[in-house]
Amino acid sequence: MSAYPHRAKLDCMTAVIETTGLTKTYGAVRALDGLSLSIPRGGVYGVLGPNGAGKSTLFRILLGLIRPTAGQVRVLGQHAGDPAVMRRIGSMIETPRFPPYMTARQVLEWLALAHGMGKDAAIDAWLDRVGLTEAANRKVRGFSVGMLQRLGVAAALMTKPDLVILDEPTSGMDPPGIQEMRALIRSLADDDGVTIILASHQLLEVQRVCDRVAIFNRGKLAAEGKVSDLTASGERLRLSATPLAKIMGVLGDKGSLDGDAVLAAIPRAEGPGLLRALIEQGVDIDEARWVGADLESVFMAETGPARTDAQVREALHAG
Amino acid sequence: MLADAIRSEAYRLTRNRAVLSWSLIFVPLVWLAVLIGGAVIDAKVDRMADQLLPQLASARAALDLGDTLLSAAGQLANPALLAFLLIGAATVFSSDYRWETWRLITARNSRPNLIMGKVGTVKLMTLAGLGLFLLAALIGAVIKGVVLDKDLVFRFGGEEPRTFGLLFLLAYVRVVQFLLLSLLAAALTRSQLAALFVPLAVGAAQGLLIGATPLLGWSTIDWQTLLVFPGAAYEALKSVVLGGVPAAVLQEGLVWRAVASLALWSFIPFGLSLWWFSRQDLSKE
Repeated sequence: MSAYPHRAKLDCMTAVIETTGLTKTYGAVRALDGLSLSIPRGGVYGVLGPNGAGKSTLFRILLGLIRPTAGQVRVLGQHAGDPAVMRRIGSMIETPRFPPYMTARQVLEWLALAHGMGKDAAIDAWLDRVGLTEAANRKVRGFSVGMLQRLGVAAALMTKPDLVILDEPTSGMDPPGIQEMRALIRSLADDDGVTIILASHQLLEVQRVCDRVAIFNRGKLAAEGKVSDLTASGERLRLSATPLAKIMGVLGDKGSLDGDAVLAAIPRAEGPGLLRALIEQGVDIDEARWVGADLESVFMAETGPARTDAQVREALHAG
Repeated sequence: MLADAIRSEAYRLTRNRAVLSWSLIFVPLVWLAVLIGGAVIDAKVDRMADQLLPQLASARAALDLGDTLLSAAGQLANPALLAFLLIGAATVFSSDYRWETWRLITARNSRPNLIMGKVGTVKLMTLAGLGLFLLAALIGAVIKGVVLDKDLVFRFGGEEPRTFGLLFLLAYVRVVQFLLLSLLAAALTRSQLAALFVPLAVGAAQGLLIGATPLLGWSTIDWQTLLVFPGAAYEALKSVVLGGVPAAVLQEGLVWRAVASLALWSFIPFGLSLWWFSRQDLSKE
């Protein structure tokens, strides 16, 4: 039997989050600028963006911690901030802090009481699931950042929510911890049917664990879609061939050097034609294969280029 | 639900042993020590008196625990108990700002319930604090009886239970009224230090300024005095309960003015806190 018997009620709902023209301003700063976004039910949804892009502001609005300046937002079909809806959401925003005089078990017992749960909270099971069984009776004042993150995730999950919002859940974790957290997130989405919204700066992790992503930039939605679609749109034909100059001549501004090879930014359908043209030009082709773009390159393309080392040094000197 | 909020706040407070010790145990323990010390000194004085005037030795009255209870009820809202209960109240009211835990619980309950849960917990803590103080007074009296070799009796009839109940209720209202200033300070400043020191400063200022009221031509039972100084309102009501107020003064509406003062000093800080908290950005603490 599923641990989430009430999940069937959500089947008729296609979107867990819907925002229309959502705007939040802090003085002159527009943290969210007319954001319209629909997050579908099920799976793991990544929210990406550079610092200050509006991710945390969106989460705070979804959790009823702040009110939007303008626009509409619906969470699980209801208004954000409605306690009836909020009870169906688990969240961990940034590194959680807990009363330092409490043990990990006491923290979960306290939150179980706050959430109106008795023995249903299955505290031991959640401590085990996040790998804190051995530290269950230790006071949290001695916990590392990674252990606090795990406890925060257990706190977010123990109410068996329909929707879980996790902001940087692997921050401060060691590699095995990150791997365990990734497996836990996937298992919650795949086995328990929980919809998970995840923000992280670790783009490789996001690419591994998320089904869809939204990329925010300056409070606006820069890109949105399935991870596979977004990375496919940045697909390149990698050619190991000589002479490189002749290939670059054929490709023009669609070509770029990648070590000893050339990356051709062309649609997949144009691949055979390009290869024929290169052969006719007398190019010796050792290898030709399609390489997908990673999420990082998509992210950088959507949010603007990172500063070069020289620019960073210049900024530091100027500062 | 409100019950969930009270249960979780009470659970958290009971896990904070340092705060519980200071706010609930310290004052009754010190009071007990003072009573025992007084009993030991009294015993020495009695021994000296017995040697000088042996004919008085058999004439000593029994020690009435009923009187002890009434006397202690009249001293419940003392400054020491107020100050140390404030430690617990300030912790309850400001802990979610201090540990950034609002975001963990606001998603589960309405904001009015969360605030009322804290107030409910502080009210329970106040009842416990007042009860422990009475217990310390009773234990002190028993020890005094043993040390002084006096008979112990418990006469608690007639008007005494009613008087005791009214004194206890008055003290409870006065303490809660004072502690609600801590709620307002916590909500407005998000600071535990402010939650602790603002009520202390207000209480100290009122204690000093009430001495200056005759300069303004105000008596201790004038409506202005009662309105500005809730401590004076409490003392006035205590005098009424103990029968120390002339009928003519009672007819001028002293009781209602004093009750109105305590009510205003309770509901205004509570209402302002609730209003402010309902609009507060809790994503930053």
